[in-house]
Amino acid sequence: MEPNSVAADSSRSAPAVTPNYDDGIVKMFFTATVIWGIVGMLVGVIIALQLAWWPANLNLPWTSFGRLRPLHTNAVIFAFAGNVCFTGIYHSMQRLLKTRMFNDTLSRIHFWGWQLIIVSAAVSLPMGLTQGKEYAELIWPIDVAVTLIWVAFAINFFGTIAIRKVQHLYVAIWFYMSFVLTIAVLHIVNSLAIPATLLRSYPIYAGLTDGLVQWWYGHNAVGFFLTTPFLGLMYYYLPRAAERPVFSYRLSIIHFWALVFLYIWAGPHHLLYSALPDWAQTLGMVFSVILIAPSWGGMLNGLLTLKGAWDRVRTDPILKMMVVAVSFYGMSTFEGPMMSIRAVNGLAHYTNWVIGHVHSGALGWVGMMSFGMLYWLAPRLFNRPLAYPKWVSHHFWLATIGIVIYTVAMWAAGLMEGLQWRAINDAGQLVNPIFLDITARLQPFMLLRLLGGGMYLVGAIMMGINFWQTVNGPERPEEADALPQAA
Amino acid sequence: MSKQHEPRVLGHADEADGIEEYDNPLPDWWLGLFWLTIIWGGFYAVHYHFWGNRSQEGEFIAEMQAADERWPEQAQAAIQFAMSDAAVTSGEAVYQQNCFPCHGVNLEGGIGPAFDDDEWIHGGTADDVLRIIREGVLTKGMVAWEGILSPEQINDVTAYIVARNMDATGRTLDSYLASSGMDAEPAEADTVTVAPASDSQGSQSEPED
Repeated sequence: MEPNSVAADSSRSAPAVTPNYDDGIVKMFFTATVIWGIVGMLVGVIIALQLAWWPANLNLPWTSFGRLRPLHTNAVIFAFAGNVCFTGIYHSMQRLLKTRMFNDTLSRIHFWGWQLIIVSAAVSLPMGLTQGKEYAELIWPIDVAVTLIWVAFAINFFGTIAIRKVQHLYVAIWFYMSFVLTIAVLHIVNSLAIPATLLRSYPIYAGLTDGLVQWWYGHNAVGFFLTTPFLGLMYYYLPRAAERPVFSYRLSIIHFWALVFLYIWAGPHHLLYSALPDWAQTLGMVFSVILIAPSWGGMLNGLLTLKGAWDRVRTDPILKMMVVAVSFYGMSTFEGPMMSIRAVNGLAHYTNWVIGHVHSGALGWVGMMSFGMLYWLAPRLFNRPLAYPKWVSHHFWLATIGIVIYTVAMWAAGLMEGLQWRAINDAGQLVNPIFLDITARLQPFMLLRLLGGGMYLVGAIMMGINFWQTVNGPERPEEADALPQAA
Repeated sequence: MSKQHEPRVLGHADEADGIEEYDNPLPDWWLGLFWLTIIWGGFYAVHYHFWGNRSQEGEFIAEMQAADERWPEQAQAAIQFAMSDAAVTSGEAVYQQNCFPCHGVNLEGGIGPAFDDDEWIHGGTADDVLRIIREGVLTKGMVAWEGILSPEQINDVTAYIVARNMDATGRTLDSYLASSGMDAEPAEADTVTVAPASDSQGSQSEPED
């Protein structure tokens, strides 16, 4: 226990002392996060069911896998993870910079604009309206709306930095800045298109250039939407929850700059063994491998910050969630570079291994970090004790076991596919000439994935119920400094 | 530097909402890993593109050459069409595993043409059927099954198709063998030019180029 950090913790002991902060906007984003999180994960479980049992697509175009899959990815990335980032950023940056947000109207425009974009995505994608670029499917009018709302957010964000009451910019703020700036650049450049009608447009890039720009965008959506803002959240919420100093300031600086510099080059590893020139493939692969250490810098700074607090990690489910999150971050940032090595990619590409990799990052890192942050934030933000503190622990175990089942099933499925596709017998013939045979053998793994994903969804729904009951429950009694946590 | 002493805190806490930061050095193994990957990256790139002169295309050519050496191209032995009950039974299994998605469970057709009528788009003798299965009709999406199915399997599925077609049309087995160009067919299946089939079914032979 660090008495100093508790003493300096103004927001915690008495929120009334700092009425200047706009916590209303944080509550709005918090609520949206929980709702979209459950919706996005539910759609994920539905399409997982469709892969295991096709009649679940209802034989309707609007509910077919090809339309619901982009709905799932857009919902969990931009609706769930996006709102998580905004919740955490609006909450932590006001406190880190000791100032209210630059402009409350911009905050509301950002909130309502973003939710409207999500709703329009949820309507247009099942209708089959798409640009066909992964994670950039939304049609051009929605792309324009995203740009405008993002600019509003950026003005508000940098405005707040400009009017800050402290000189030093804490590491979390650097990571937030890389998020706001880079996503703007990525989204605008990749979405450049000539509108033909209100619903259709043609990208300004053709062929291979389009592919390269798309994966420069796609990979850095992972890098700057699902990694850097979450590292920022980790740098604020993990030391707050652990009440420990951050392990190394120097490591934060080095791994931050190394990460943002290297990430942006790694996109071509999505195009290995394609028409992309060899030198560009090498570039993507080499930069991906060099990314291991900068990524692990974040993991180390998270884990080593907990040094001296491990006794609390054993009992506090919030810290457990953060530890699992950071561990999965370390695991998937090792797995990713391995998969971008030419020889490994030749086996792994187009298989379910890739899906497993993405979900160990998404469910393990992004999801667990989000849950930890939300559980830590809820009692403080709403000034009420958690309704069901024990459920946090249940959620933790459901989610953790769910992720393990999910990723192991996908690894097995991916390796099986990769090996069976390429298997050649002594006569030089394909051992499995019928592609469909291999696909049919995936069914048990698809069922296991459904189970793992289902457990993860149940945990998220329990969290939603917990927060609902918390918000509608009695206020926290005075002087309750030590928040009740699950034992 | 000594790692024993208690690390110094930087004193940023009042500017970071109470979060303090230690002045710990970079872990040696972490820094070592970082340098190692950078050096490896440079070495790999130079090796791949200059010393080793490797390329994606080169890799493909080498793999194909190795395959050609291991499995030298053999003259494809002509399959003598042989009809028997055993062949029909085994052919049914092959058909119901591989052919039905396009040609229908009951040979009624679908994506591909039907086999339960008198219409033969690419030739209607047993030899024509054998040839089409072996070589495929790539322009129409029919896969070349030679190499996927064994010669016996190709014969058997042909026997099954002929037997079912006989049931449906009432033709005799001889009528499928009538204009058999099998004897005339050259051993090399790759460049086979099918002898114009002038059988009574009005089948056109596919001009192959």
